[in-house]
Amino acid sequence: MEIIRNLWRRKLRSALTVTGIVMGIFALTTMGAMAEHFDALINGGITYYGSNIQVADANSSITSGFGGYMSLSTLAQIERVAGVAAATPFANEIAKPGAVSVVNMGIPDYISSIDPNWDHYSPLKVTLAHGRWVTDASRGEVDLGSAFAAEFHMQVGGTIALPVRPADAQPDFVNHRFTVVGVLDETLTAPDSAAYVSLHDAQTLVGDSLPSALAGRVDPYQIISGVAVYAKPGVNLDALAERINAAVPTVEALKPSTLVSAMKSGAAVFTVMTTATALLALIIGGLSVVNTMIMSVSERVREIGLKKAVGARTRHILTEFLAEAGLMGLIGGMVGFLLGFALTTLLDAGDASGGLFLVTPGLTGLAIGFAVALGAVAGLLPAIRAARLDPVAALRAQ
Amino acid sequence: MPAMRLQGLTKHYTRASQVVRALDGVSLEIEQGEFVAVVGRSGSGKTTMLDCAGLLMRPTAGRVLLDGVDTGALGERERAELRSRRIGFIFQEFNLLPTLSAMENVLLPLRYSGADRRAGRRRAEQLLEEMGLAARASHRPSELSGGQQQRVAIARSLIGEPTLVLGDEPMGEVDTETAEMLLALMRRIHRESRVTFLIVTHDLDLAARADRIIHLRDGHLVGDERVDCAVSTAAASRAPVASLAGRR
Repeated sequence: MEIIRNLWRRKLRSALTVTGIVMGIFALTTMGAMAEHFDALINGGITYYGSNIQVADANSSITSGFGGYMSLSTLAQIERVAGVAAATPFANEIAKPGAVSVVNMGIPDYISSIDPNWDHYSPLKVTLAHGRWVTDASRGEVDLGSAFAAEFHMQVGGTIALPVRPADAQPDFVNHRFTVVGVLDETLTAPDSAAYVSLHDAQTLVGDSLPSALAGRVDPYQIISGVAVYAKPGVNLDALAERINAAVPTVEALKPSTLVSAMKSGAAVFTVMTTATALLALIIGGLSVVNTMIMSVSERVREIGLKKAVGARTRHILTEFLAEAGLMGLIGGMVGFLLGFALTTLLDAGDASGGLFLVTPGLTGLAIGFAVALGAVAGLLPAIRAARLDPVAALRAQ
Repeated sequence: MPAMRLQGLTKHYTRASQVVRALDGVSLEIEQGEFVAVVGRSGSGKTTMLDCAGLLMRPTAGRVLLDGVDTGALGERERAELRSRRIGFIFQEFNLLPTLSAMENVLLPLRYSGADRRAGRRRAEQLLEEMGLAARASHRPSELSGGQQQRVAIARSLIGEPTLVLGDEPMGEVDTETAEMLLALMRRIHRESRVTFLIVTHDLDLAARADRIIHLRDGHLVGDERVDCAVSTAAASRAPVASLAGRR
């Protein structure tokens, strides 16, 4: 109680100090939420791409995922390579062609063929929130990722034309009506932005978007975007990728470790950003707490002397001042966190594509814990000064 | 055994490379239950003697024995404990904490001694009532007069049931009438509780109402006389307070 009254006694000064902490923790919360969101995305990618080998035509870039064409006939060659447990052909198409992509930290909406081996082999589990799965035999049916469904206000039973017609559609633009048969649970990673159809339907869509040079001259049902290769237990994925490359010269199998390390270096940038913000909070908030507590100590020298005279020991005085500094940190931390939480919630609510931020319990604990520790550590030096005062000198101080 | 024994108490300060002899070999004994005034001009060493006796300061030489215990041999922790258990302080400038109510100020020493809170609160209520401040218990110091503030400080000095109360010019900041009232109050407490009082004052009229007057000059003990009992008790003839009577 006395601690609160001591802070209240210098309302303006305490408020300014707390504001310093609020700003720091606010920045930490918003940047941290952005990093958490990105981390979840990347971790999902690492889990998925670390568990299989992505194979594409040797002349296209797999990392884009779109625009590469590969002949279905190579599938049999890949399946024959020693160590391959299963190989799933897939076809991908952009869901919103022509959509202007501003700075987007998420994954653009996409259409993909369902992978029948996914559930059996991939450690990244995707589950249904509503409805049922699309099967290989499905025609005109789609399962929507949570963000995709939310963006177009889709529920099971609804219909959606895919790809989504752009505002400036070419005269030859074609799309097809699909019935939504399932909506997926939120994964915080790629599947949230996906629309899953059968391989046959995905091939139809890829065929529609073939360049005019190829259109009508190739059978779209012999074209795939790539193959996901799952290995037998105990088989080294990087070694298997090398074997595929050696055995099937027309394709390129990417080593999972290469993809994973590329993703990790992306995540590292965000870790640096969060750390830098935390450092900023440390400097702004920390210095203002140090300043306030030094002033509090010099103002209350006589009080400290008196407390010592009536029996307070060094640790009592130390505890009282640390509690005061820690309380400022706690208040600043809670306000800063709530402001950050409110802002990220507000921004995400206005963003149709699944949001940019993710506030986790870990981040909540980090932000508030960091603020309290910041206050206490910054208050330590002034508190030690206070606790070491000579009672006689302190009592007679003017 | 005397309640307090000072043996060759000496305190030297170095100020601007000059040695100041604040106290120079003061020896005296005070029995339990005495009411002693310490007089002398400013700079005579009164306050330094009080600070040493109250374990707020360590002497340069000499010893302070409380109930036979040589306090110089104790560590800071033990000295702090002894202060909170055995000694009550009253200061010239009251030194109440501005953010605490009168009641909370009285209770402050118990915060550090780990005493039972409920019993302490009952005792604080009792003390405030004896000081005539029952109705002011929830007031902050800024809402109290100087005399009232000093009465809160006196109650605070007594909350830990000390055997020794040290006052550093406790009447120095108030008018003559209030000073009279405060002294009468302390005499009454003394009479009913037999706590030892050691009061520093520069006012010889007030000192004359003590049982014994110790006179310091330039750090030396120059006088130690007993006062006629009739004078000192006449001023303290107020209604006895049952709660304080027979406490020790």
